Amino acid sequence: MATTAATPSPGPAPKAPAPATPAPEALAPEPVHADELAFVIHDGKESWTNAAAAARSGYTIVDFSDDWTPFIFAEQKGPDGTVLHNRYRRVFIGLANDTLDEDGEPLPAGEKNYLELYGVPPSFGVLRERFFADEKQTCHASIDQEKLQEVETIAYVAPEKMKDEERRMARLRRDLEEARRKRRAATLAELAEKDPPLAGKVKAYERRMAEKEAMAEVEKRLLCEGMFKRKPRHTPGVYDDAMRLAVRRFQQKNMIYEANYLRAKTMDALARQPLANDHQAFMRVLRERVVDAAGVVEDGSAEGKSGTPTFTSKSGKSVALRNLVDELTKVAAQQLGLDTQEGAFAFFKRHPAADFRRLRAAVRLPALPEYYAPDMDLSIVIDRGDVWYDLPWDAQGVRHAQPRRRYPSFHLYLKYQNQRILLARWRTTIGGWRAEQASDGYEYFRYKGSDVGPRVIRNVVAGPVWIAPESTPIRALLKMKDVGGSWQRVVNYDELGPGYLSAYGLVAGYFVQPRGHGKPDWDNGIRAHGSSDYLSIYSSEGYSHGCHRLPNHLAIRLYSFILRHRPMSVLGDQRMSFARQFLAGDNVFEIRLPSRGYSYLLDPPLPVEVLEGDIRGTLRTPVTTYVPKPGIEYPGPPPPVRASDEGRAAAPGKTEGEE
Amino acid sequence: MSLRRIEQLRPNHGRARGPSQGTFLPWSVALVASLALAASLGGWAAGKASGEKNATRQVTDGDADADLPAAKPDTVRIWIRTVPPRKAQVKWGRKLLGIIPAPKALVIERPRDSGPMDLVIRAGGFLPVHTRAYTFDDSRVSVKLTPPSQKSRLFGYKQEIVPPLDAGVPPPAADPPKE
Repeated sequence: MATTAATPSPGPAPKAPAPATPAPEALAPEPVHADELAFVIHDGKESWTNAAAAARSGYTIVDFSDDWTPFIFAEQKGPDGTVLHNRYRRVFIGLANDTLDEDGEPLPAGEKNYLELYGVPPSFGVLRERFFADEKQTCHASIDQEKLQEVETIAYVAPEKMKDEERRMARLRRDLEEARRKRRAATLAELAEKDPPLAGKVKAYERRMAEKEAMAEVEKRLLCEGMFKRKPRHTPGVYDDAMRLAVRRFQQKNMIYEANYLRAKTMDALARQPLANDHQAFMRVLRERVVDAAGVVEDGSAEGKSGTPTFTSKSGKSVALRNLVDELTKVAAQQLGLDTQEGAFAFFKRHPAADFRRLRAAVRLPALPEYYAPDMDLSIVIDRGDVWYDLPWDAQGVRHAQPRRRYPSFHLYLKYQNQRILLARWRTTIGGWRAEQASDGYEYFRYKGSDVGPRVIRNVVAGPVWIAPESTPIRALLKMKDVGGSWQRVVNYDELGPGYLSAYGLVAGYFVQPRGHGKPDWDNGIRAHGSSDYLSIYSSEGYSHGCHRLPNHLAIRLYSFILRHRPMSVLGDQRMSFARQFLAGDNVFEIRLPSRGYSYLLDPPLPVEVLEGDIRGTLRTPVTTYVPKPGIEYPGPPPPVRASDEGRAAAPGKTEGEE
Repeated sequence: MSLRRIEQLRPNHGRARGPSQGTFLPWSVALVASLALAASLGGWAAGKASGEKNATRQVTDGDADADLPAAKPDTVRIWIRTVPPRKAQVKWGRKLLGIIPAPKALVIERPRDSGPMDLVIRAGGFLPVHTRAYTFDDSRVSVKLTPPSQKSRLFGYKQEIVPPLDAGVPPPAADPPKE
């Protein structure tokens, strides 16, 4: 094994289980540059090896560097070997390292991004700082963890209903106290035993009281973790905007999908010690690095009611589909001694921050299933689930429930040895009723459906730009922003992209219908893309404008996997010169987009099938006209739906998309 | 400080004058703008002198593209002009970047890949335009100006609701009885 002193120097060995695999093959001593090295743990000791040689001998090289990006944002090379720069790569790295904001502008000192929930995991350098800061933090000592652990959730009480709630609880307490005295019970618990009909009221009262006490501890914890900003100001005990934003920041930091509320997972994370949460974050970050290094996608989501799916191997054996994401992450963490909080912290203590400029590990991962190959026969099936075409409002604007028993789902299949193997299945979205701006300048409702039938994905775009159709409501195209100290309205590029908040998320596959005979593909603007709007994916009433959304981190894994297991070429940055103006008040705003994103071409394209699903309700086909919004005065009947909003030939640079 | 006079967009571009030529900012506004520009450029110079990394540099008119010195690898140039060509103020937040010396372009230099710039362009007799310039590579920002009288041509213009001729007064229930 080649070693050199001109590297981040290995410190004391971590107490890690030795890998049950041989060390990388011995290398002839030769000068090795630090960039060519990877650390390896052997017999519990950390040492350096030549990464290329380790890879040749069967090791997987996991990148721990702070300038890591997933495959889709890596600097790829064109056919002539020139590097094709990805303009979002710098922003992705800046976001992960807390040095840039979503626009790629410097982040104020001390600010944190916390974007893991939206597909940008923190760098190891950021995690390192987090570990050290939390170890030194003393304010956690004042938090009563027991009070946090006593409640599963904390019920949301809107600020304007706080007084009503307090009056209700005071009344309940009076009633229960009176009953307790009458029944000569020492405590409310005794009262509940003596008078069972009152047990429910006692339980409700005690739960609310426990929640109130826990809420005070939640506030302390959020304050201690720096989750409250200077503005808006928080009123203790009230679930106000400041509290909502602080909870959201905490959820973003800990990758919790609970929509700003103090639900079970958020409460669990609040009740854990900060370093324990840090280690969970560490494991999630490691997971994305390992998944990227190994090029796998199976995450256990294919498991259904009938258990783990199986496939028949070449030798005729029935083999269970493995959860490679968890399995490989666990193996890598154990081999590197990082599977415990102490092990991870020792690793950070061993490696100064500067090491993470370039740091790679060599790990021996279990062999991948036999169906893995550079060219895998992959395909996508989207099941729309239960579909409603009826208007969800009546003429008075009263909403009518449109319950769904089956939600839309995204399936990634592999054809292997005449079998169709489901590799992953995720919840996704289909289109529904959305507000749209018509040519008269007014908003109407319009049904934005998801097309049914066979399609293909020819282009995968990393850091895609959504060219907002003209029907996009103006209010969605503007936002307030601090521009050099001036708080002003600007075009909402968060929505347009590239970026994690963009309508197309961090990566998109473009659905098209090949037309043959030299004609360009037909593109109706439907994509399967990443999204930070996880509520639209996981909530019972979530819909898109027709696209199939996935959480950003899953979309990244999906397309990184597809691009690495299908023939493809890198087209690189798709320049364009798009500008469109619109009016808001007496100001003209100009959308200016210099690029469509960074494109990869799948050749042959990836087959996609969208299943119709089960049509519920009265209407069997979608409404194709604008429907006036209840309670809005319009200048006349709705104008016709713009032809330009409908499908068009997919001439590069001209297609506007749904989202 | 002295400005490096580098280039113009196209020597003959937009020579035809539009109807609002000469109706640029009133002199008082122009004076304030000039002072602000001087202050801004002074600030730039100070920033430059102190090695400020994110300095914005304005470079103005010259004779032709051929006069351009070779671009530095770590900076980009952004050409800003209006259609129709008008003298216009270009602001980046509170900072006045400069005045477009129509028919030439205002050229600014920024560190390469230093993030986008949200600009506001104001020309007398036209609606202000909010646009964005990018620093990934050299670029040209050509902004269409619209006079207030033509704002109905812009997307997003809201068609007005015409009130009924009777202004909402209900019609009489019946003719008054004749005497």
